[in-house]
Amino acid sequence: MDTPRLALLMLALEPRLRGVVFVGPPGSGKSALMHGLADLLPGVHQVVLPLGCDQEALLGGLDLEATLQRGERVIRNGVLGRADGGVLLVEACNLLAEGTANTLLGALEDGELRIERDGLSRRVATRFRLVGSYDPAEGQPRAHLLDRMGLIVRMPSAGTSDARLSIVERHLNPTLRAWQDEIEMLRGVLEVARTSLDAVELTAEQQQELCATAVALGVQGHRADLFACLAARASAALALRDSVQREDLEVAVRLVLLPRATRHPTQESPPSESPPPPQESPEPSATEAQGPSTDSLEMAEEILDAVDTELPAVLETLPFSRSRRSRAGSRGSTEGVRGRHVASVPGTLKGQRIDVIATLRAAAPWQRVRARRQGNLTLRAEDIRIKRYKSKAGALFIFAVDASGSMALNRMRQAKGAVHSLLEQAYVNRDKVALMSFRAQSADLLLPPTSSVELLRRAVDQIPTGGGTPLAATLLLTLEVAEQAKRKGYGNVVLVLLTDGRANIGLRAERAGVDDELQGIAVTVAARGLKTLLIDTQRSFVSHGAGQKLARWLGGEYLYMPSAGSAAIANAARTAVATP
Amino acid sequence: MQQSFPFVAIVGQEELKLAILLTVIDPSIGGVLVTGHRGTAKSTAVRALAQLLPMTTVVAGCPYNCDAASPAPDCLHCSRKTSNLKAIRRTVPVVDLPLGATEDRVVGSVDIERALIDGVQAFSPGLLAAAHRGFLYIDEVNLLEDHLVDLLLDVAASGVNVVEREGLSIRHPARFVLVGSGNPEEGDLRPQLLDRFGLHARIRTVSDVSQRVEIVKRRLAFETDPVAFCKRYSSAQAKLRGTLVKAIARRPHVEVSNEALLLAARLCDLLAIDGHRGELAITRAALALAAYEGATTAVPEHVKRVAPLALAHRLRKDPLEPAADDERVRRVLAEALA
Repeated sequence: MDTPRLALLMLALEPRLRGVVFVGPPGSGKSALMHGLADLLPGVHQVVLPLGCDQEALLGGLDLEATLQRGERVIRNGVLGRADGGVLLVEACNLLAEGTANTLLGALEDGELRIERDGLSRRVATRFRLVGSYDPAEGQPRAHLLDRMGLIVRMPSAGTSDARLSIVERHLNPTLRAWQDEIEMLRGVLEVARTSLDAVELTAEQQQELCATAVALGVQGHRADLFACLAARASAALALRDSVQREDLEVAVRLVLLPRATRHPTQESPPSESPPPPQESPEPSATEAQGPSTDSLEMAEEILDAVDTELPAVLETLPFSRSRRSRAGSRGSTEGVRGRHVASVPGTLKGQRIDVIATLRAAAPWQRVRARRQGNLTLRAEDIRIKRYKSKAGALFIFAVDASGSMALNRMRQAKGAVHSLLEQAYVNRDKVALMSFRAQSADLLLPPTSSVELLRRAVDQIPTGGGTPLAATLLLTLEVAEQAKRKGYGNVVLVLLTDGRANIGLRAERAGVDDELQGIAVTVAARGLKTLLIDTQRSFVSHGAGQKLARWLGGEYLYMPSAGSAAIANAARTAVATP
Repeated sequence: MQQSFPFVAIVGQEELKLAILLTVIDPSIGGVLVTGHRGTAKSTAVRALAQLLPMTTVVAGCPYNCDAASPAPDCLHCSRKTSNLKAIRRTVPVVDLPLGATEDRVVGSVDIERALIDGVQAFSPGLLAAAHRGFLYIDEVNLLEDHLVDLLLDVAASGVNVVEREGLSIRHPARFVLVGSGNPEEGDLRPQLLDRFGLHARIRTVSDVSQRVEIVKRRLAFETDPVAFCKRYSSAQAKLRGTLVKAIARRPHVEVSNEALLLAARLCDLLAIDGHRGELAITRAALALAAYEGATTAVPEHVKRVAPLALAHRLRKDPLEPAADDERVRRVLAEALA
């Protein structure tokens, strides 16, 4: 059986795995698979979580019409409450608004939600199985959300044409005979597996092996260990075995642990973490994740060998690894379009959204005075409350630092200082920053868009320096980051480019064509509405004019600051974002 | 109400457990913030705090949990009928403030049901009222909406909740201890809110394989049969609660030595900590630790052990400093003791 379908069966069998998420490009059959879970579980209902779902729809609330009609409080259930006991489908879970994602993960974890909204206080059961999907090209989901789903499945890339064809067929004709037969067969397997699951044996050594593998892969937290044990047992039960075998352990590692890896097991501890051990090490910090200990490596060796070839690809495409991790699923998204409802104020209805509950609340105290007729409510113009929104998403500052040349480390320090200064402001403005460096052939994203000082502090200090100046590659990476940010509602993106040289490495072009190629890309960047601030840090007074030229192509501002301090850079960036 | 994981069954994370015990012994330390990797028992531990809390006396029927011996002068319930207030015993309340909460439920507002149906303008108290004289717990506190944070800061500073909305004009006492948890990688906490927490425990993924195996074993056993699992730990749990009750009783009689005070002041000075909340928190925490261990005097050793918990989150953020904040505190501690 292929891995995606095995994952579905495992979740169907073991609800404690909580969820499965399929990761892959469009057209890889994610959607068809997602609907498959409900097919496998007869009598279980399926609820779809729409992307633009707001908190009210998600959590439910007062049903006003019914409340007024019946003269008693009537509560409408939200999407999460309706999903209780069933299957919740979340497509593009990387694009969920932040508030939605937070609520969702709480519901998934506790199987229950506390709701304190609109004058109501209640608990709602939310025991559902979650089936999610996303396309990594559109950004990563919040690692928090992903971590709470047991199984993470990378869709086989560019499947064989046979597999593709069968996906298409299924989609076109879901009642296809062969598919029906397969479902029948799988339901039968599930039924048998269900009776034997509790009896499946997972030995202490096997448990140890799974935990050791998690340690070796640098998996954060302990939820994954638990999921891995559950997955191994589910896999064995589905194969109608009464004890866990090596292949079951491998399935567990592949679906649970590998996608959560933050490092290659044979590497030293990740360079960005692990503060130096304190001289006087008390109990807790001895347990800190350093490099994998040798005995954990030995215990995990056999499994790691089996999955070794899949690891690099996983580290590259999944969000848990430090180098690629992004604080995604961010503020903004659908909320960003019109912002977040922050308050309700008196006003008129002209082109505004009325807050019904607040309006009723405002009217309620006066009903006696207004000699209310039985069952009818007297509303006056002054009762009207309109919703006031505040756009949640702030600006995104992308700092690109030239790491070629001798002053590279100094520039990086200044940039980090400036980024920090911006982040302090970010508490107020909801701004985010990203940090990239470029040298030799490529540009690297050191810090994906974030508002966390913590992550900034950990972002690599020691970057390799020297080599040429690949400005074209830098602009391309900028575009990619900016496009992802825009999809999440960041309208205002500012590129702060710190460099002292001229482009001499192109993407494809020979040396002579580098300038033309750069101009082409620069004009594209300008056309996408990015604001640019080019800070020229070269110390020689003989300017080649390269910086000015690039700034002109980018439609941006040029500043000559050979000894720019971080405060000055931050100020310039703030000014740039404020100019229309 | 679902069964929560027993406090004593949590494996490892000694710093976190210590912080929670100290908070129970002396709520005036200012509550605790727990941060760390996802999936490291942050919420589990904080929820387990509720199991350890002592009993308290409240006025029967008072929505603000007034102390029967001295009801708050602001209390809307008790100040109206001072004659015969009935007292009942209950455990110290822990109130959950979920992320999606709206302002009207946090501060309280017009009771819409009574207003619509009976035409009565009645105040329906919110979560802040319920948390008075207890704990207010916010999971993922770093993700709380800004306007709610503003509101919390206001009330936490004054101890009074002032409601001016929908024709209501109401003030009631709201003194509570903040307890929060979160993952700093998901977004930072506002510095003003961070400063409100007396203690800050950082927890990390356990990398010892045998400990991890034990964690999984206990979790699986708990999920399979929560009642039986809790029963297995009930005597250990009862013993701990007994120790805490004694510590709470002993705490007002514990004194702090001059050397301990000097060390606390020295640390705050060396770490250039603004304000005096740091010194207060570290001293109170040292006293609570002394009480917990049955000592009559808090000595430098106690200060030393609580220093990272009480001070690390008050350091000025320095992006160019590679060491984590608690490591910096430990370094300075070694310096101060040398």
